[in-house]
Amino acid sequence: MSGSDPHALESRLISTGVERLALLGKHAETLMAGYACDEVPLEGLSTTALNRLLAARILWRPDEHSGVKLAPKVRELIAEMLADETRRHVNADVAETLELVRTLVQSYREARDAGEYWRQEQQLLRLRQEVDDLNGRFADAIDSLWRRLNSDFGFVSRLGDKIRENERAQKQIVRLLDGLELIKFDELIELVGSDGALRKLLVSGLQQQLTHHYTSLREVQRRLIELMARFRQQQARSRLVAGMVGFLREHPNFVPGNYALRSQVPELINRAAPIMPAGAVALDHDADARLVAELIHHLPRPASRPEPVTAAGAAELPEDTRVTARQQALREDVEGFYLAVVDHDGEALSALAYLQESDLEWDPEIWLFQVIADYQGLPGSEQRAFRLRQVETQASPFNHLYLIHDVQLQLALLPA
Amino acid sequence: MIEQGPLLERLLAGDFICAVSDEAAFRHLQDESIREQIDAYLRPLNRRLATNTDGTVYFLAWLRLDEAAREQLSRQLGDTVGSLMPMLEWLQWVQEALGRDGLAGPGDVLKPADFSSRCEDHQGLRERLERLASDPFFGSQSDQLDAQLKQVFKRLKEHGYLQQPHADRQYYVVTGKIDYLIDLVRFIRDEENLPIEDQAPTQQSLL
Repeated sequence: MSGSDPHALESRLISTGVERLALLGKHAETLMAGYACDEVPLEGLSTTALNRLLAARILWRPDEHSGVKLAPKVRELIAEMLADETRRHVNADVAETLELVRTLVQSYREARDAGEYWRQEQQLLRLRQEVDDLNGRFADAIDSLWRRLNSDFGFVSRLGDKIRENERAQKQIVRLLDGLELIKFDELIELVGSDGALRKLLVSGLQQQLTHHYTSLREVQRRLIELMARFRQQQARSRLVAGMVGFLREHPNFVPGNYALRSQVPELINRAAPIMPAGAVALDHDADARLVAELIHHLPRPASRPEPVTAAGAAELPEDTRVTARQQALREDVEGFYLAVVDHDGEALSALAYLQESDLEWDPEIWLFQVIADYQGLPGSEQRAFRLRQVETQASPFNHLYLIHDVQLQLALLPA
Repeated sequence: MIEQGPLLERLLAGDFICAVSDEAAFRHLQDESIREQIDAYLRPLNRRLATNTDGTVYFLAWLRLDEAAREQLSRQLGDTVGSLMPMLEWLQWVQEALGRDGLAGPGDVLKPADFSSRCEDHQGLRERLERLASDPFFGSQSDQLDAQLKQVFKRLKEHGYLQQPHADRQYYVVTGKIDYLIDLVRFIRDEENLPIEDQAPTQQSLL
């Protein structure tokens, strides 16, 4: 083989390549229409242009009667450029590349031994391109996998499709990992022998890149499995809820067992009753006095000042005499209760017990009201002579409403 | 222990603690030594920390079950079972209104305004909301769309299924208590052997 022929071949390849690449740009819209649909629309495409596209293997015609379609490689190229995950292919055919690498290494050796430097250079260049392609295919595949993962498979909308896409991606990873397994560095070391350039390309360089791919693939695999678990959980939840709703509709009277009565109460239903922690200002801690004083200072003022108790006496309301008389009788009976307390020598008396014992007919609620009202209506000095205790319970754990059941009244022991 | 005070108060008050309802507290609860401290503190109160199947929510359980505790649990279980249908129907309604194929889960943001506009466009959703809102669990008396939505969201917030990050902003975040509810549904299904399937039929593996 003479030295000038390969050069001429090279330049002819380059000029044809430029011409054909230009076809892609020139017919970009038609080609993209073909990418989006099944067939390439032929309107607006001259016969010459069509023939050129067919000759460049950009388009092809499966048979005489069918329409013109994009060549698979062109479709792949576009999908790759658009990162179109619905059509992007993962292809890392390692076996074939390895076969090619072996062949190229053989030719490289022969050229080297024959002292054909130009051919040697050409073989090394092709080897480098093959290794770059292999790397590029792994890198593209990994990029495609990450994109799908990070978008939660956003290019399909239904959960079922997401699950299928995830399964597909996981299978691709397995194939890619299998491909990586095929590359045996022992074999490559033997193949390159002592040649420095080959060693750098096929052993040290490749090993570093493949290790990187391997780590990425394992990571993306782990994440895909996690995402799959989440998809499956979501799907299981929807099905469970739909199933339970359906069941409850069909069996409106369904009541599950009372799990609280089992000897082993299931974890899930053991939920302790709430406790409302309450606190009050403590005045026995001098250090807090300033803070308490400040807090009191900032308490909102009541919207209106309470009327003095004496001014709110029931007798001042215009009422008919019968009601007034009853009111008067009630007050007299309550007064009797107060006198009984005084006679009781400092022992507490229950207002309700007194009501019952004295055979009085007042409604207990009205009675308690009047006992409390009388106590609050007493002048300060007399009020101090009595101690009134309300027997009450909290209405609900969620608020501070207290219900008074009874009041206990006793004579306070006056300080000596 | 003093730094766990607010967390203890919330737990004692019957709150469910999850990554949404109180992220910092939930992180603390991931720490086994803190859980042990809390359990030690709760022992005299006859309570202990408990969690759901996947450990996504924490709440308090009785340590020892006496007669009164069992009675409280029975009552509580009755209430929860009573709220099951409206809660599950609400979950399905949300899923359909948002056009999703999964149920709302912890961390999902729900805006009453979105639902309001969906209901205006979709009579079916509107009618289902109407039925849901008037369920005693939600207890809306109104026939106005926005008032019904407001009541539904308010009740869900009261029950701890939703959290409102800003009192003056109308958006809510689903809490981990939903996980608890789903776990309970699964539990009831398993215990009662209800004919409800939640796994997709196994697919033929692709060649």
